[in-house]
Amino acid sequence: MKNALHRMNPSVKFLAITICMFTMAFFFDPWTPLVFWVGVLVLQFFFSEIDWKKWLLFMLPFFVTAFGYFWTTLVFAEDGSGSVVWSIWNLQITETQLNHALSLSFRVLAFSSLSLLFALTTNPVTFILSLMQQLKLSPKIAYGVMVGYQFLPVLKDEFILIGQAHRLRGASEEKNTLQRLLGVRRILIPMLAGAVRKAERAAFAMEARGFTGERRSSYFRVISIGKVDAALVILFLFVLVLSCTHIWWLG
Amino acid sequence: MHEVIHFDKVSFRYPDEEKWILDELSFTVKRGERIVITGPSGCGKTTLLYICNRLYPDNCDGILSGSVKLFGKNNSSFIPGEINHRIATVFQDPDSQFCMQTVEEELAFTLENLHVKRDEMENRIRDVLALTDLTEFRYAVIQKLSGGQKQRIATACALIMKPEVLLLDEPLSHLDPFTAKKYVEWLDELQKKYAMTIVAIEHRLDLWGDFFERSISLNKNEIAPVLIKRESSKQKNDSLVVDKLQANTYLQETSFTLKRGEVAVLAGPNGSGKTTLLKALCKLIPSSGTVEPKLVGYVPQSPEFLFLTKKVQDEVGFGGGNNTEEMIARLQLLPIADSHPFAVSHGQKRRVAIAAMLSDGREVILMDEPTSGQDAKALSELFQLIDERAREGTTFLIVTHDMEFANCLADSILLMKDGQLTGKFDADIVWSDEQLLMDHHLLPPKEVIHREKCFA
Repeated sequence: MKNALHRMNPSVKFLAITICMFTMAFFFDPWTPLVFWVGVLVLQFFFSEIDWKKWLLFMLPFFVTAFGYFWTTLVFAEDGSGSVVWSIWNLQITETQLNHALSLSFRVLAFSSLSLLFALTTNPVTFILSLMQQLKLSPKIAYGVMVGYQFLPVLKDEFILIGQAHRLRGASEEKNTLQRLLGVRRILIPMLAGAVRKAERAAFAMEARGFTGERRSSYFRVISIGKVDAALVILFLFVLVLSCTHIWWLG
Repeated sequence: MHEVIHFDKVSFRYPDEEKWILDELSFTVKRGERIVITGPSGCGKTTLLYICNRLYPDNCDGILSGSVKLFGKNNSSFIPGEINHRIATVFQDPDSQFCMQTVEEELAFTLENLHVKRDEMENRIRDVLALTDLTEFRYAVIQKLSGGQKQRIATACALIMKPEVLLLDEPLSHLDPFTAKKYVEWLDELQKKYAMTIVAIEHRLDLWGDFFERSISLNKNEIAPVLIKRESSKQKNDSLVVDKLQANTYLQETSFTLKRGEVAVLAGPNGSGKTTLLKALCKLIPSSGTVEPKLVGYVPQSPEFLFLTKKVQDEVGFGGGNNTEEMIARLQLLPIADSHPFAVSHGQKRRVAIAAMLSDGREVILMDEPTSGQDAKALSELFQLIDERAREGTTFLIVTHDMEFANCLADSILLMKDGQLTGKFDADIVWSDEQLLMDHHLLPPKEVIHREKCFA
C-alpha cells in the first residue's frame, strides 16, 4: 500500500492532478490552498516511498518563492481596504492585503508540491507508454521522446568533453555569469551538430526495424488501470472537495 | 536459388548535388549468399545499403533511376515498413540505434512494430535470445553494455523479425579487434544455423577472414593507397616525461617517457582507461604525479570539439602563437584559411586541430582514436600528416585499435589494461607475444601473420 502512488497509472495520475490544479485556480481565499496543500502532503506521506530529503531540496526554491510573493504582496498591494490587522514601523497591513498575500503563497506551495508528487513518483518511460496506451498519444511523438531520453547521458558526456577541450585551447573560464552563459553557446554549437547526426541515425535505425509511426495493435508492456487507480482518484477528489468546502466545516 | 536483390543499371543522386553517387550499377544477390560491398568512404556504399532497405529515396528526396527488384518485385510496390522486416539492418554506430532502455524492451519494440500478437511476443523474445546466446542480457540496460555487446543486441533485434536478408553497415568499425573477431565468429555460427542472406558493407576486410563468398567493389578506378612502414624519426632527447601519474577515478600509477619525434601507439581493450590516461596527461582531469612538458596537445576523436572561432585562420592563431602564418602554410591549410572550421572535411578538421596545437607551442600531441571509421584513403592521409610532423620533431601518442596502422606507424606500443599501463614495448615484440596480444584484446597485423607463415 505504501507504494500505491508509484504504482498508479501515470495517465490517470496526470488527469487527477490536472483536475485538482484547475479547480484550485478558482479559489482566491488563503485557506483552500492551505488545506489542499496539507492534504497532498498527507497523501504523499501515506502512499509513496519518496526520499523526503530530496523532496525538501526540490521544495526549497518554492518556499523561497512563496515567501517572496507573501512579502511583496504585503508591502506593495494597492487595495488598502478592510481593518488593519498588523502594523510594523509605518506599514499598515489590512486584512485584505494579508489574505491576498497568504492566498498567493499557499497557492505556490500547493501547486508546486502537487507537481513534485507527480514528478517524484512517476517513471518517465512508463508515463510515455501510458500516454500512448490510455490517452492515444501518437507513437511518433512517444518514441521520439523516448529516444531523446536515452540520449541524455550521451549528451552529458559530450558536454563535459567539449568543455574540457575548450579549456585546453585556453578559452578562459568567464567569471561573470552572463558571459559564462554566452560561453555555453560555443559548446552547444558542436553538440547540436552532433545531435542532428545522431538523431538522423536513430530515426533510420527505428525505420529499419519496421517503425512507421502508425498505431500499434498490441503492447508488450501493458500499462493497465486497476482498483488502485480508482481508489487513489477517489482520495484525490476527496482532498479536493474537502479543501473546497472547508468553509462549512471549519466555520 | 532465386534472386533476393537485383539492381539493374541503378543510378542515384541526392537532390542538391549534381554528381551521381551511384552510376549505372548492376548486381544480383542470391538467397543464402554472403556478400560484401567494398569501396572508400563517400563512394556510395551506405547509399546503396539504404536503397536496399528502402530508407532511400523516400527519406532524402533522392533521384533514383534504373530498376531495383527485391524478392522479384519492384521496390516501390512495397508499402512502408513491409520490406524492413524481410530485409533487416544492423548499423555502424552502437550508440545510436536503440530507443528503449533494456534489451527486452528493445526487442519488444521491434515486435510491436510488426503487429505481433502479445501472446507470441514472449516466445519470440525467448527464442531469439537463445539463438543468439544472449539470454543473460535479457534485462540488461543497453547503454551500460560494451560496444561489442550492443552490436550483438542490434543483430538480435534484426533477427527477431525473422528476416530473409541481413544488411550490415560496417558493424565492426567501433569495436576493438578481438571483440570484432568474436563478433564475426558469432555471426558465422548464426548464419549457418539460420541460413539467411548477408550483405555487408565494409572498407576493411582483414577482420572478417574468409567470411564472405563474394565481394562487390564500388571502387571508381581509384587504387587505395597502401601504407608502407615508416622509418623512425626518434631523436635522442626526451620529449614527454611522465612520472607517477595517477588519476583518482580509474587510472593507476603510470610512468613512461617518449623521445622527441617518437610515434607511440596506446592500445588496449575498450574501457581500459586509454582516454582517461590522455586526459590526465593534458590535465583535463585532476591527477597527481608530474608530466613534463606542461603544455600537451590533445585531439579528440571529433576534432571539431576543439574549435572556438569562425575561421580556420583564427582557429590556428587562437592561442596567441606568433608563427600562425607559417603553421598554416606548413600544414597546407592555405586554401581553406578563410573557411569555417566546421565546414571543412574531417581530415582537414584534424589538420586544423594539429596546426592549432603546434602553434600553441604544444610539441607533444595526443590523439584519441583518429582511425575509427576511416577508409584507406583517409588513413593514408592521416599517416602522412603524422609522419611529416614527427620528422619535424613532434612527438605523438595515438590511441587506436587498428593494428595494421599501428604496425606501419609506431616506434613503440604502450599497452593498457584495467586502468593500468602494462608497459612500453617495441612493436615487433608485441606482435610475437601471443599472450600479451590476447590479454589486451589485440590481433597481430596481417603483414606479420604472412611473414610468420613464410618462415614456418
